[in-house]
This record gives sequence, C-alpha cells and structure tokens, in this order.
Amino acid sequence: MDPAEVEFLAEKELITVVPKFSFDRIYLIGGDIGPFSAGLPIDVPLWLAVNLKQRQKCRIRPPEWMDREKLQGKKQEEMDSKFFIEMPNQHYMEITQLLLKYAPDDIPHADEMRTLIKDLWDLRMAKLRSSIDTFVRSDATHAKLNHLTLMELNTVRLFLTNSLDQLYVLRSNLSGKVQATQE
Amino acid sequence: MTMKASENYFDIDDILASNERIPCRVELPIYRLGYLDSSHESEHLLPGTKIEFPYWLGRAVCSRRRHIVRVDLPKQYREGYREILSADATVVDLHKLGPYYYSFGTKLLHFEHVASADIAKSMVKTFQTRFRKIMDSSQNAYNEDTSKLTEKLDEAERSLFRSGQFGLHDFQRWETRKTEKLTTSNMVRNHQKRKRNVMDSNVD
Repeated sequence: MDPAEVEFLAEKELITVVPKFSFDRIYLIGGDIGPFSAGLPIDVPLWLAVNLKQRQKCRIRPPEWMDREKLQGKKQEEMDSKFFIEMPNQHYMEITQLLLKYAPDDIPHADEMRTLIKDLWDLRMAKLRSSIDTFVRSDATHAKLNHLTLMELNTVRLFLTNSLDQLYVLRSNLSGKVQATQE
Repeated sequence: MTMKASENYFDIDDILASNERIPCRVELPIYRLGYLDSSHESEHLLPGTKIEFPYWLGRAVCSRRRHIVRVDLPKQYREGYREILSADATVVDLHKLGPYYYSFGTKLLHFEHVASADIAKSMVKTFQTRFRKIMDSSQNAYNEDTSKLTEKLDEAERSLFRSGQFGLHDFQRWETRKTEKLTTSNMVRNHQKRKRNVMDSNVD
C-alpha cells in the first residue's frame, strides 16, 4: 500500500470547521454534508476541510487530542509502557501531517505539535522494531500487537512479510521434510 | 518433477544458487569425461578423483538410486564455520561464504548428510541473529550510500534490505509531501530517451 493511499483513507475522518460562508446541504456519494451557515461549527470530512481551507473559506478547529498537554501525556505513557498504547486517533500521523501543512495558522503551537507527534511516531516505530525482533528470535508462530495504526503497519509491511517468508523456508528445513525433488 | 514452494523455475536467484559448487568424490568410473577435471590428463574420471560439480549436476548424479559420486559438505557449512556463526553471526561476511548462503544451504539438505539437521538449525539461528541488524540499518539509512551496509549480507538478506528501504523511502516521500507532485512516469521518460537514440542513429 502506498502512504498516499493510507492518507486517502484518513481523509474520511471527520473534523470540525467554522465556515465563513452559508450554503445549502450538499449531497455526495459518501454522505450529505451541511447545511453550512457562516460562523457555526460543523463536522466535515478532512478532505473537504482541507479544500475549504485552501480557498480561505473556513477555519479549522484542531481535533481535541491535538493539544500540548494531552500529547505530552501520551508520549510519557508511551515511554513508560512496554506495549503500544492506544492512540487518540487511528490516523493521528496523517491528520497531523495534513493539518500542519494546510492550516498551520489554525493550530496553536503548530511547531510543538509537529515535534510531539514525530516523537510519538519515533517511539512507536522503535518499539515496533524491537517487538518484531523479539518475535523473529522467539520460535513463536504468531504475535498480537494492539493499537498499531495503519500508517505504522504500512511502513514495515513489505519488509516484515518478506522476512517471515524467508524464515518460513528456513524453518521448514528443520522439520526434515526433504521432498523428493527429482527424477 | 515436483517443486518445493521455495523453488521457482524462472527465478534467477534460484538458478544462480543451484549453480554453486559442491565438492564431490567420484565413486564409479565416468568414461570419456576426463576433461571435466582439468588437473588430470586421463580420458576417464576414475574412482577416487576429487572434483567440484555445480549443485544441479551433483543432485543428478548422487541420489539414493544413483550413486556415481559422493557429495561432501562445502566448507562454509561444516562444523567450524557453524561454530563461528553460532558465536556471533552478525559480524560474519555471509556474502563471502556464498552469495546464496541460505538458499544453497537449503538445497544442500537434499543430500541428507549426517549434519543436515545441524545445518538447518544453524541457518535459522543465523538468520534470527542477523535479522535485527538488517532491519535497523534498512529502516534508518536514508539518502546515504548503502553499499557498506549490504556488503556482508547474503542475497536473500539483501533483498530484505531493499524491501525495508522501499518502505522507508515511501514513507519519507509522503512525509515531505513529494507524493502529491505529479512526475513523468519512468516508462514514458525511458521511451523518449529510446526514441531520441533512434533519431540520433538515423541522422548518422
């Protein structure tokens, strides 16, 4: 899967915007949005929010979890915990990325948010790598990881599946099943 | 001929791995093939001659039914090397021990050598120990020369390294917002180059 595809999925997440215009309800395949009235907050999909923002037609309200204290708390929790903790949003990375790119003026402490999210990401990736390593070293046949997000999985997917294939080949040698491969 | 799931008829790596040499000792006289052994002048291969055959040939002439040669273990799979690998596999240059260490080793098990079980165990262990290093280096080396990192990896490990790099590069490209820029597809670009070549040669 391409990261851009993961982002596409993340763009379905709802986000609150304050429109600067009034408009009737719009009917889309993905569902109805609106009606918009200037100044009244409304939930729209992320893709629409970004689009409106680019045309200067709305202000974006940062999601609740995008908050300095909350993220610092999460980071601490992530550091203290041996396992993955639940992220405030399945697509935290993608949403942060998009919002910081297109609406940095609507997010208080935008730079700090970027650093915090990046820290969280790095922590979790390091944790993911060490758990993959533990898994490969042990002779376990399956492992369960909770609370991983799609983007995190996506970056290691190809590598992990290929290594497990290789490991499977080497393991199946062990069982001593030498098949008759000739004549 | 049945094939293992791991074998692939058209896989160039698999073909190359089966071309690795194994030391053999001739047990029955092989007539008129003396030229295979360039160190001897005789017309026939006599019993007792030591000769190296590629794996694919060795497999055909040494089996339960046909016992024309006796197959020895190549030295990189013998106990001495296995001990080195079990001491610390991360520093060993597997590429030097045979660019296809794992797949050739897997093929060798076919000969049901007494040490087969140990070789299989040693390979799993080696892979597990070296895994961490491959994963970390492939996921962290961004925009740098990777030839130093891959130098000691066997071919299978290199392909793992490449897939790790692929994931990393994809993610970095996304993070720096390069994915949303439209670029010329490689095919089109190469096509134009080829066209230009043709045009140039027409002028000459």
